[in-house]
Parts: sequence; structure tokens; C-alpha cells
Amino acid sequence: MKTLFSRRNLLVGVGTAAVVAGVGYEATRVLRKRYAPSPYDDLLAKLDDRDGSAQIGEAVLAEVDDFDAKAVAAQLRAKLVQSSLADLATADAAAERLLEAHGWVLPQSLALLCALAAKAAA
Amino acid sequence: MSAFIDARTVPDGTVLEPDLAIVGGGPAGISIALALANTPLRVVLLESGGMSFDPATQALYNGAKSGVKYLGLEASRMRFLGGSTNIWGGWSRPMDKIDFEERSWMPHSGWPFGLDALAPHYARAQTLCEAGPWLYDKAEHWSQSEMPTVPLGAGGVATRWFQFSKMRGSLLPTHFGERYADDLKKVRNLTTYLHANVTRLGLAANGGKIEHLDVATLNGHRFSLKPKAVILAAGAVEIARLMLASNDVMSSGVGNANDVVGRYFADHPIPRDIGTVILFDGKLEPYYLTTQTMHGAILRAGLFPSEAYRRNKAMLDSSITIESKTLLDPLGKTTVATTAAALGVDASKAAAFTLGGGCEVTPDPDCRITLDSERDALGVPRIKLQMKLADSDLAHFRATLKELGRQLLASRAGMIRLNMKERGQWLTGLDWGNHHMGTARASNDPKKGVVDANLQVHGVANLFVVGSAVYPTYGAVNPTLSIVAMALRLADHVKGLLK
Repeated sequence: MKTLFSRRNLLVGVGTAAVVAGVGYEATRVLRKRYAPSPYDDLLAKLDDRDGSAQIGEAVLAEVDDFDAKAVAAQLRAKLVQSSLADLATADAAAERLLEAHGWVLPQSLALLCALAAKAAA
Repeated sequence: MSAFIDARTVPDGTVLEPDLAIVGGGPAGISIALALANTPLRVVLLESGGMSFDPATQALYNGAKSGVKYLGLEASRMRFLGGSTNIWGGWSRPMDKIDFEERSWMPHSGWPFGLDALAPHYARAQTLCEAGPWLYDKAEHWSQSEMPTVPLGAGGVATRWFQFSKMRGSLLPTHFGERYADDLKKVRNLTTYLHANVTRLGLAANGGKIEHLDVATLNGHRFSLKPKAVILAAGAVEIARLMLASNDVMSSGVGNANDVVGRYFADHPIPRDIGTVILFDGKLEPYYLTTQTMHGAILRAGLFPSEAYRRNKAMLDSSITIESKTLLDPLGKTTVATTAAALGVDASKAAAFTLGGGCEVTPDPDCRITLDSERDALGVPRIKLQMKLADSDLAHFRATLKELGRQLLASRAGMIRLNMKERGQWLTGLDWGNHHMGTARASNDPKKGVVDANLQVHGVANLFVVGSAVYPTYGAVNPTLSIVAMALRLADHVKGLLK
């Protein structure tokens, strides 16, 4: 009885799939938006949408006086060693640590991350 | 059954001598008249209008305004039997215990009686308002499986419920005049005069009691009453006007030796589109958006600051309603997506809704009604209203909205955008509740109030005031239910006094 997939066809198929996957991965890597290095890249990596976050961050910066990016980054790093961003943001809300951006009420840690994204994009 | 009497047919010079005269056939006046049915008291109810709207009668309300933009004085009330229930929305909810308390953060606060004084009368008031079974307290303890509510983290705002008046069939809400006309006609000890405008409270020479009431009709008839007692139930604007205009014996008017009558006028500001609430899962029960018939009542959920929050954070009262679905601008969408991602929540089905609501205001003696030099068709001075709205009151409302947003974030259920910040934003499109309050405020101290705990005018033995005119502070809920409860309480008091 003739099999549906010969050994030869199977090898060709797997090889083709590998090539396509490799090309796709490389294309994504090449096409992914690149940012100029900033001192906050480790923190900004926690944001899903860095450009969008930077837009939010502009509004946050308009609300915060004397924004000290280095100090803010250091504080966030210290906190994010101990907990995830999700837990930290939730804890912010529970503890009334909030900031506003264009009227949006945000957890402080998220708002400050967005402000760093804005600084990095500047 | 006795028909209503058209005051335009009463011969000039007639003098009526009832035990009690009730001035004003709105919800308060009608409730008192019904409560005094089958007592030995001979009661007269005087209503300025007839059974339906009449432009000439309504025009008696006209007056001048200054200050913050406010509703037309002739448009925000109704001058025919049933009073402003002819245009009310039926929103019903009792006041809270804290509403009656003196609060350090609210100047001029503190009632001369507490919620416990009204509580025994609320059930009957609820019946008269036809707002269904009393579910307000029970509703706050319905389980999430029974009546799901917006999930909020611990904090100051919680879901609470309005109930709605329903007259019959699809007719919402109860118009007291139309609804209770036949009941009033059945009361043997009551005579109701329509088209009867009280134009003067006739004080005794020593100012200590009302000796007579002057009544006029728009067709030129004039007659009077010599009642043993008088209840003013004509609404906060007309009550102040009548007391101030009756200044032939006391130059400051009736009950106004301390210059309090007409001051502390208030209404509930109703700013529109005050915020946008996002629910990450997109789920919102319909009873947040519109009234729903459930549990034998017509209900709608709102979001209210708790008593504990108001106390601990020194906040004014407010009520927040979720109004309608809305769309977000690109930055709004980005903010929601970014926030949800940061919280570790899926927001692919997120939905946005506009927020509305109303808020309490701080009593302000300079927000006031005074007499104008112009007179109406009956020769009574018209009024001038100086309307004010403090930034600090709006700031309280904003803070409570922010607290709601905080609780949504804490529960990872959603978030909020505050649309108002600057005064100009609040005032743009600002509406009002049509809840006139405060012009004959209650206080045990005659220097601070017009009426005492029994709603008797200080220094005038037989004159009483009822309605939201006596509110020293205003809460944030619609006043009709409490006005009716207060009227029933006064009926009990007067019954005991005049028997």
C-alpha cells in the first residue's frame, strides 16, 4: 500500500517549514521598530507598546513637577525586583498611589514607566 | 365626595376660618392633606394652579437671575395641582444618616433632627410615591450571582440603588395631582381651592402669629383665610418669596428677624459627561444604564460614596450614574490597552461608558433669593436669584470619581477617565436637578435657621414650613421621597398640636 507521505516528501516539507520560520523570524527582527538606547530600556521592556506608552508619558510629565528620571528609574527597578508590574500596579491602586494623564487615572508605577518612555523617546 | 372649588368663583371679601391652611398643592401639601383625612381638623388646601398647565399662572414664577448660569425659574417648577411632581423623573432614594449630621468639613451643616425622625415615615412616603417595595437596604446585600455589580476594590464607592415612581401602566412617574385628586375629594374635612394664590402672610401686630392669609386669583377676586395654623408647602423659591414679601408688619418679612430667609438656596449640579469608565471585560448589567423592572420595583443602579468614605475623607455626597456606551479616541484606546496589559488583564473586549451624576453643594448664605422691584400680575414682588457654585464642591465630586477609578484598578476590572478639571469644563453644559432647597432652613438656633426641629417658624407660633426649603444641607439624592416623609412627620405633629 502506498503511503500518503513518502520519507522524501516529509523531509522536504519539514525543511521548507524551517526555512519559512527562519525567514519569518529574521524578518520580524529586522522589521521590529528599533529605539535609540536609553538608560531605561530594561524597564521599558515591560511595556507592551513603547510608543503608545510614550504618548501617555507625555501627559504624565505635564502633571508631574521636577521629574527626576534617574531617581524614578532607580525606584522602579527596586520595586520591580520584588514584584511583577501587574502586582505593583494593583498595589499602587490599593495604596492610592495614582497619577493622571489626560484625565486617565493610572497606577503610579505604570504612569512613571510611561513617563520614562516619553523621556527615552525625546 | 366634594368637588374642588375654583377660587375664581369665591366672592370678594369672603373669609374662611379653617383649623389649618396648607399653601401649595405639591407632593408635600397633598401628602399632609391626605394624612389629616378623617381627623377633626378642618383643613383647606390652597393651590395656585388648576388641574393642568396654564401659562398665565406659570408666569407668576418668573424672576431674575444672576451668577452661575441657572435654569429658568418659570421652567424648573410646575404651578398646578401636583406641583413639580408634574415634571419629576421619579428618582427615589432615602437620605443617609450622615446627611443630617453636623460635619466639621462642611460649614453650616447639621439638622435639628436626625434620620430617625424621618425613618418611621419613609414607608408611607414610598407608597405615596408609588416607588414599589422598600428595597434600598436589601438591594445592597444582593449576591453577585443574584444581581451582579461592577467589581470594585475596597474603597469609598459602592453600588447602591434608585427606585422609581410608577403611576400606572407605562405612565412614569406619579403625578401627585392627577393621581390623588379623587382621594383628596373624598376627604370630608378637607376643602381644596384651585387657582387660589396666597399673596400675603398676615402677621399679628406683635409678629408672633399668622392671623390671616390674603388670597387672590388671576381674574381679580380677593378673599382671605383666618386659620389656626398655616403650613407653607409651596416650594423653596415661593416660600421664601412669600415670607419676604409679607413685610408690612415686620420690615424684614415673616420669620426673617435674623436675615436667614431666602439665603442658602441650593440645587444639585448635574454636570454631563463627567467621565468615561472602562470595563476591561466589557460586561455591564443593563440596570446600570436604564431602569429595569425587577423584584417588584423599578430599579437602577448607581455608584455612591459610602458614609464611611464621606466621614473619613471629609467628602461631600454625590451620585454617579453610568449613562451610555461610547467610543475612545486613539490615545484613549492606547491608554486602556497599556493599562490592561500592565495589570495583566485581557482588554480585547473592553467597553467604554460615559458617566453622569450629581453632587452635593456646601450651604452658602450668599447663594440667595431676594425681592425684586418688579411685581407679578397679582402685585407680589418677583424674586432675584443670586446663584453660586463653589470650585471646592466640584473638587469633591472629582475626588470621588477618582476614588471610583482607583477601586476599578485595584480590582483589575477597569479604569476611569476624568473629563472635568477646570471650572469652565464643569460649567459647560452644566444642568441642574431642579431641586430647590435651603431657603427656610431648619436649625434650633433662630440665628442660623428659619424653622425649628418641628418645622415651626422661629417666633411665629402657628406657621410651619415643609419641603426641601427646610433642608440645611442637601445630600445628593433626589428630594421628593424625603419631602413626602417630612410632610407626613409634620402632619403628625400638627395633628397633635391642633386636636
